[in-house]
Amino acid sequence: MRTLEEVVSRVFGVEPQSLDESSSPESVEGWDSMGHVNLVTALEQHFNVSIDIDDVMEMGSVGKIREILVAYGVRA
Amino acid sequence: MEEQGDHRKKGAADEVEAQRLVYRELKASGRTAEAHAALNRLVELDPSGGTATFAHRERAKLGEVGERPVRIAILSSYVLDPLVPFLDVECRRAGLTPAFYVAPFNQYTQEVLNQSSGLYAFGPEIVFVALDLEDLFPAVRRVPSVDDLARGRAEIRGTVAGLVQELHARSTALIVVHELTFTGSSPHGILDNRRGDGLSRWTEDVNHDLAEDLGAQAHAFLLPLRQVLGRAGNERGQSRKLFYMARMRHTDGALRELASYSMRYVKPLKGLTRKCVVVDLDGTLWGGVVGEVGPDGIQLGPVAPGIEFVDFQEALLNLTKRGILLAVCSKNNPDDVMPVLREHKHMVLREEHFAAVRINWRNKAENLREIAEELNIGLDSFVFLDDNPVERELIRQMLPQVLTIELPRDASQYRPTLENLSDFELLALTKEDEQRASQYRANRQRQALELSSGSLDDYLHSLEIRAEIARAEGHHVPRLVQMLNKTNQFNTTTRRYQTPEIERFVASPDHRVYVLEVADRFGEHGLVGSAIVRRERDAWRIDNVLLSCRVMGLSVETVLLKRIYDAARLHDAARLVGEFIPTAKNGPTADFYRRHGFQLAGEVDGAQAWTLDPRVDRIEDPAWIAVKTTGE
Repeated sequence: MRTLEEVVSRVFGVEPQSLDESSSPESVEGWDSMGHVNLVTALEQHFNVSIDIDDVMEMGSVGKIREILVAYGVRA
Repeated sequence: MEEQGDHRKKGAADEVEAQRLVYRELKASGRTAEAHAALNRLVELDPSGGTATFAHRERAKLGEVGERPVRIAILSSYVLDPLVPFLDVECRRAGLTPAFYVAPFNQYTQEVLNQSSGLYAFGPEIVFVALDLEDLFPAVRRVPSVDDLARGRAEIRGTVAGLVQELHARSTALIVVHELTFTGSSPHGILDNRRGDGLSRWTEDVNHDLAEDLGAQAHAFLLPLRQVLGRAGNERGQSRKLFYMARMRHTDGALRELASYSMRYVKPLKGLTRKCVVVDLDGTLWGGVVGEVGPDGIQLGPVAPGIEFVDFQEALLNLTKRGILLAVCSKNNPDDVMPVLREHKHMVLREEHFAAVRINWRNKAENLREIAEELNIGLDSFVFLDDNPVERELIRQMLPQVLTIELPRDASQYRPTLENLSDFELLALTKEDEQRASQYRANRQRQALELSSGSLDDYLHSLEIRAEIARAEGHHVPRLVQMLNKTNQFNTTTRRYQTPEIERFVASPDHRVYVLEVADRFGEHGLVGSAIVRRERDAWRIDNVLLSCRVMGLSVETVLLKRIYDAARLHDAARLVGEFIPTAKNGPTADFYRRHGFQLAGEVDGAQAWTLDPRVDRIEDPAWIAVKTTGE
C-alpha cells in the first residue's frame, strides 16, 4: 500500500520528500483545478473509496486530505 | 495471491519513480531530446491521467525539439481540457510534435463566428468539436414531449450544420464532430423503445442527421463517440461526479480511448497511413509449425483451436479492401508452405492476396528491405506482425521505421489487436485504393516482362502505355488530396495541400490543376499523377508535380510537363518556372526539371527555381506512350 504522499507525488510528478502536511495548491506545481480532479480520481482508485463532493472541495492540503480519508476508514 | 499482486504493483511503482528520476536528471543537464524520450517512456510505464498531465506540462517547459508538427484545436460545450495530455501522448507515439488550442469552456459559438478569435489565430489543421447532448438540448434531462423532441432534433441539426459551415468558411482545417450521446437512463425505463417519445431512438435519429450532413462534406467527419465510450465501458467511461465537480464528462479510461481514436483522423491528415502489412505464417496466420505437423496438422478451421486464426485472416483480408497491401515473410521451406497457401480448405488468405512473398531462411530485416524495394513503398509505411518476440526485436532494432506490433501471446487477441491500430485510416476511399491489390499483381507480371525483354526501350514499347491528361474537376479532389499527402519520392515540392485549398485551385482562373491517368496492357493504374500550375503575369509557375511510385520509370511525368508547356505556349507565356524543394525522400525527382531542359535560375528559402522559355525550348512526349488530351 502506498502512502498518501506517494499518491500526491505521483499525480503531480514531485518528489515525496518535498511534501508535508501543509502542502497545498499554493505550494505544489500542477495542483490546479484540473490537477485536483486528477488527484481525487487517483485517491479514489488507490484507496478504493468514493469521496463526497463536499469533501472534495475541502481537500485543500495534504493534512486535510489525510483527515478526510481517515474519516472514510482509510489508513493513509 | 493478493500480496503477490501488491508486490507487482510496488515493483511497477518503483520503475515509474526511477523513470521520473531519469527524466529529472536529463532535464537538469539540458539534454532536451533525451528528456522528451524519457517522458515518452514514463507515460508508457504509467498511463494515468496524472502522469500524462505531468508529461504535457513538462514538455512546455523543455521546449520542443521534434519534427512533424501538428496543430490540434478542441471546441467543446463541457470541459475537455484533460483530453489534451492523452492526445499529446498519442501524438508523440506517432512521431508527431503537437500544438494544442482548447477554446474557453462553452464558448465554441463565439470562437467559430469571430474571425479574430483565438481559434483562428492558432491556425488549426484539425478541429475536434465536442458538444454534449444535455448542453445542446437541456430538456432531455426531464421528460420531453414528442413536440419538444422534434424541435430539439431540428435545432441540433441546424446548430451543428451552422458551426461546420462557418468554421469551414474561415479555416482549412479538417473538422471532426463528436457524436451526441445520451448518458442518463431513460425516464421511460424499459418502455423507452416502444414509445414515440423514447429517447434512445431519438438519439439515433439525431446522430443519423449529423452523419448524413457531415458525410456529404469531404472536410468534415463524425467521430463515433458512442462506440468509443462503449470501449471504455459506458458506466466507467462517463462520470456525473466529474461533471458536478469540474464540468468534465469523461473519466481517464474514456479519455485514453478517445485520444487513441482521435488519432484515426490525425494520422491520415499528416500522411502517416501505413500501406503494407507483413505477416509471418507459423503461429501468426495459423497455429503450429507446418514444417513439423504438415498442412493437415496446423490449427486453422471453424472450431477452436483454429477459429481464432481464421478470424484474424478475415480481418487482414478486410484491410485489403481499403487498399492496404499484404506481404508474407516466413522462415520456412516453400515446399511446406505453398500447399497451405494454395489448397488448405480453411485458408482465407491465398497467394493472390499477397503483393510480395518471401519464404526463406534469411534475416527478416533483409527480406523486408527487399519487399519495400519490390513494392516501391517506404519501410516507414510497413507494419510487421510476427508471433516470435525474437523476430520482432530484430525488426525493431534494425528497422525502427517499421511499426512492429507487440502481438499478444494469446491468438484470440490477434484480431482485436489489429483492429485497434489507428494506422490504416484514409480520409476518403478512392477507386485506386480498392483496386490496389490487383494493381500490384499486374506489376508482378510487368516485372516478368521486363526481365524477358531485350532492352529497356523494347520493354517500354511492349507495355503499350496509354496516358490520359485532363484538367481536374471536383470528383478528382479526394484522390488528389490523398496523393499530395502521401507521395514522398516523386514530389517536386512536397506541399501538403488539403481539400479546401485544392477545391480553390480547381475553381480558380489563376490556377490549373492537371490530372494524369495511366493504363497499360496489364491493366489500369488509375489516377497516378498531378500538377498544380499558377499563372502569373508573364510566367507560368509549376507549384507542384507529383507521380505515384507505381508509375515511376515510365516517363509518364514528361506527359504532364508537356501538357503544361503546350498550354503555356498557347498563352504566349515568356517563362515556365518549375519549383523544386529537396527533402530527405524526393531524391528521384531532383533532376526532373534539368532533364527536361530547364535551367536553374536561383534559390529562395530552400526552393529552387528552374526556368524554360516555351517560345524557344521544346518538350516532346515519349515515343512509347499514347497520349490522349481532354479539355483545354
